[in-house]
Amino acid sequence: MIDLHGYGPRLLEGAGVTLSLALLSLLVAILLGLLTATAKMSRSWVAHRTATLYTTIIRGVPDLVLMMLLFFGGQIGVNIFTDWLYYQFDIDIFININEFVAGVVTIGLIFGAYMGETFRGAFMAVEHGQIEAGKAYGMSNALVFRRIRFPQMMRHALPGLSNNWMVLLKTTALVSVIGLSDMVRIAAEASKATREPFTFMITVALIYLLIASASEWFFARLQKRYDIGYGEAD
Amino acid sequence: MAATPIPLEVRNITKRFGDTEVLKGLSLQAHKGDVITLIGASGSGKSTFLRCMNLLEQPNEGDLIVHGEEIRFKTTKHGREPADWRQVVNMRAKLSMVFQSFNLWAHMTLLENIIEAPIHVLKKPKAEAVEHAHALLERVGLSHRANAYPAQMSGGQQQRGAIARALAMDPEVMLFDEPTSALDPELVGDVLKVMRDLADEGRTMVVVTHEMSFARDVSSQVIYLHEGRVEEAGRPTEVLENPQSPRLKQFLAPNY
Repeated sequence: MIDLHGYGPRLLEGAGVTLSLALLSLLVAILLGLLTATAKMSRSWVAHRTATLYTTIIRGVPDLVLMMLLFFGGQIGVNIFTDWLYYQFDIDIFININEFVAGVVTIGLIFGAYMGETFRGAFMAVEHGQIEAGKAYGMSNALVFRRIRFPQMMRHALPGLSNNWMVLLKTTALVSVIGLSDMVRIAAEASKATREPFTFMITVALIYLLIASASEWFFARLQKRYDIGYGEAD
Repeated sequence: MAATPIPLEVRNITKRFGDTEVLKGLSLQAHKGDVITLIGASGSGKSTFLRCMNLLEQPNEGDLIVHGEEIRFKTTKHGREPADWRQVVNMRAKLSMVFQSFNLWAHMTLLENIIEAPIHVLKKPKAEAVEHAHALLERVGLSHRANAYPAQMSGGQQQRGAIARALAMDPEVMLFDEPTSALDPELVGDVLKVMRDLADEGRTMVVVTHEMSFARDVSSQVIYLHEGRVEEAGRPTEVLENPQSPRLKQFLAPNY
C-alpha cells in the first residue's frame, strides 16, 4: 500500500473540495449554457450579440488567465466599490472574495461557453415536427421546452456534455493557484514536506481517474435513458 | 334560441413568404359535423391554409374565430403576431392536428403520447387520461401497441396512434394535414377507415388530402385551391363529379 505519511485525511478533504467545486461549477455551466444557447437561437439581436461576445471572449482567453483575472481583479473591483461606499455613505464594510466561490464562478463561466455550443447544436438537432406537434396540442413554450425539447435535446447533448465535464473536472486543478485547498494543492504541499512527489501525485492521479470512471459509467446510463424510443426494433 | 357558436371560422386569410403571396384571401366556415376537404396540386397553398388555422403559420391578414372567440392580433417589427399567446394556446387545445409525418413524440410510448396533452394541457387526472387513452387505442385497433415507441411502429400504426392522440383532446375540430401521403399504399386503407368512422360519428374535420375517394364519399364540402385562391367549392357531387373550371377538370382527370 502507498504510505501517505499521515496526509490521507487531508487529501481526502481536498478530494471533497475538488468534487464539490466540480459539481457546483457544472451546475453553473449547464445553466449558463442553456441560457447562452437560447440567446444564440433567439431572434433578439441584443441577446444574440451578447451571447456571441461571451463565448468569443471565454473561448479565446486561457482558463488560468481568466481565473486570476476574476479572482485578483475581482477583489480589486470589490475593494474600489467598498471604498466608494465608505467615502460616499460612510458605510464601512469589507468583502473578501471567497476562493471557493471565485473558483465556481470562473469555472462555471468558462464551461458555460462550451456548454452553450453543445446545447445549441443539440437543440437544432431536435426535429421541428416534434416541437410543432407540442404547439399544435396547446402546449405553452415553457411546456414544450420541459416535456419535448429538453428531453429530446439531451440525447444529442450528452456526448458533448460528458466530454465537457471531464475537461472541467481536470480544470479544477487550476484553483490551487488562487489558494484553494483542493487535492492538487494538498498533494503539492505533502510532496514538498515529505520529498515524495511520486507518492502523492500518483494518488491524486488515481483519485481523478476514479471520479472520471464513475462519471463515464453515470453518463452511459444517462445516455441509455435519453436514447429510449430511438431507432430500436422490438 | 341561442345559436351555438361555429366551431371554426376563418376569413380572408392571406399569407406571404417573402414576396410570394401563397394565400390570397381564403375563407372557410366549419359548422358542427362538417367534413371539409381541401384539394389542389402541390403548391396550391392547401397545407399552408390549414396551418394558418391553428397558427402554426402566422397569416399576414385575416380573421380566425374558434368556437365564437376571435383571436386578437397585433403588429410588431417581426410582422403580424397574436396579441395574446395564451389565447392561442387555449385555441390550439380545441383544434387537434394530425400531421403528414405523424410527429408522435419519439421519446414517449404510444400511451404516453396520448395522455401527454390531456394531462399537461387540459389538466386531466392521470387515471382518467389513461382510461380514455386505452379506449381510444382500442378504437383505432392499437391496444396491443400501447407500450411501443413510435420508432417501433409502422407508418400506418403511427398515424392511427396520432389520430388517437388527437381524439384524446376531445377537440372541437380536427385538422388533418395530408394524413395518408407519407404511408405505403397498403397502409392507407386502415387510416382512411378510422377517418371515415370519425366523420360518421359527426366529428368536425378539415382535411387536406389527395385521396379523392375520401373527398367524394365523406366530405360535406370540397374546396379546390389553385395558386392560393378558391377555384371551386361546393358539395362533393357538384365539385368532383361536375367540375366547371378547366383546371379542376384537368386535376381530376385520371393519370395515364
